[in-house]
Amino acid sequence: MDIQAYISSGKLELFVLGDLNETEQQEVLAMAKKYPEINQEILAIEDAMLAIDQASAVSPSPKLKDKIFDTLESEDKAPIPLSSEEAKASSEKASNIKAVSTSNPWKTFAVAASVVAVISVSTAIYYANQYFAVEQRFAIALQQNAVLAEEMQTNQVQLKELNSGMEKFISGDFEKILMKGEDFPMQKDAAVDVFWDKDSKEVLLSVNQLASLDPTNDYQLWAIGEEGPIGIGLVDPGKKFDLQIMDIASDAQAFAITIEPKGGSESPTLEKLVVLGEVS
Amino acid sequence: MEEEALIKGLRARNKQSQEYLYEKYSAALFGVISRIIFDRDIAEEVFHDAFVKIVTKIDNYDASKGRLYTWMANICRNSAIDKTRSKEFSKKSKTNTIDAYVYGMESNADTAAAVDGIGVKELMNDLNEEQRFVMECIYFKGYTHTEVAEKYALPLGTVKSRIRSAIKVLKKKADKI
Repeated sequence: MDIQAYISSGKLELFVLGDLNETEQQEVLAMAKKYPEINQEILAIEDAMLAIDQASAVSPSPKLKDKIFDTLESEDKAPIPLSSEEAKASSEKASNIKAVSTSNPWKTFAVAASVVAVISVSTAIYYANQYFAVEQRFAIALQQNAVLAEEMQTNQVQLKELNSGMEKFISGDFEKILMKGEDFPMQKDAAVDVFWDKDSKEVLLSVNQLASLDPTNDYQLWAIGEEGPIGIGLVDPGKKFDLQIMDIASDAQAFAITIEPKGGSESPTLEKLVVLGEVS
Repeated sequence: MEEEALIKGLRARNKQSQEYLYEKYSAALFGVISRIIFDRDIAEEVFHDAFVKIVTKIDNYDASKGRLYTWMANICRNSAIDKTRSKEFSKKSKTNTIDAYVYGMESNADTAAAVDGIGVKELMNDLNEEQRFVMECIYFKGYTHTEVAEKYALPLGTVKSRIRSAIKVLKKKADKI
């Protein structure tokens, strides 16, 4: 045990100042009993405190002495000793009771204020919720509006295409060539109509029945003439009973559709012939 | 009068012993309270209650735990601290600082009771700033050393050693008087 370190830690000063907890106090007392140096040091600190307090002493007013001794005397005489502190405590209690009853109007106000506060808060929350709900519905409506506008634009484009197809069809001298899949193993029920104007060389196409393809393949239309098959465009199987405008064909004895890798091929893959129609 | 005889007299509720105790220690003890409570009326009220407590609870004093004065000073100090921490007090007054105290003592020099010793201002003169600060917190504001350490983020050991060195300086100064 390093006594000197213990002494110089400052713990003994705190002990004298009453600034240690019960356990620490017991520890210091035990140490003081065991080590005379520590006991000496505590006494020295106590002397120092007294000296400091005496050096900075302030005399209370002479009246106070009389008052204190009056209190002490009256306590001696009192049958049940009641220190002025306890007396004050009980009188404080009494005044507290009074305070409670006189503070009742304030309590009422406080209650009223809290009720108003609760109502305001719940109203605020209610309208905030309403606001957010409306906001949300508004956002949804905006989105729907955008979707509708887009759809309309698409429809307009389609309508234009259809119109131009119709115009061509009506103004031109088109021959209808029926193309069927009955004779081929690919799609027995496939049926596509090709319209060909021999003079303007324009080709229109209308799908009656074509199976949809996986995204890596396309249907390709071929015009088969003296020089062999010539690719004249890709066919959209989804656009049923709709006139699709194809490339021009100057010479054709027959038209055919094959399945080709996406984007079409230079020459047809005959094993994948879907429909064929001869020009009469 | 020897301390032992004084204690014996106090335990016997001897009026002369009580008077002697008052004459000998009231100024020092009132000084302890006045350091913490600047308002003189409140300080006297606290001292009244504390001294009555000392006399009536003298049987609680345990000589094996320290000197009589130390026990009394701690009762006064704790009463004063309790008062400053009461609701009633915070409304009426504010806690002292050395400067407020010293300023108050000077400005009230005519009306305040005599300062028996050299006064706190001169006593604190020899402390360095660190010692002064810790003593201000503990002596005047009634903080515990752990409160000082926490509030000002000082290591506990530092607070303790500053208290120790401050008391040494103060003692030296007090002895010169």
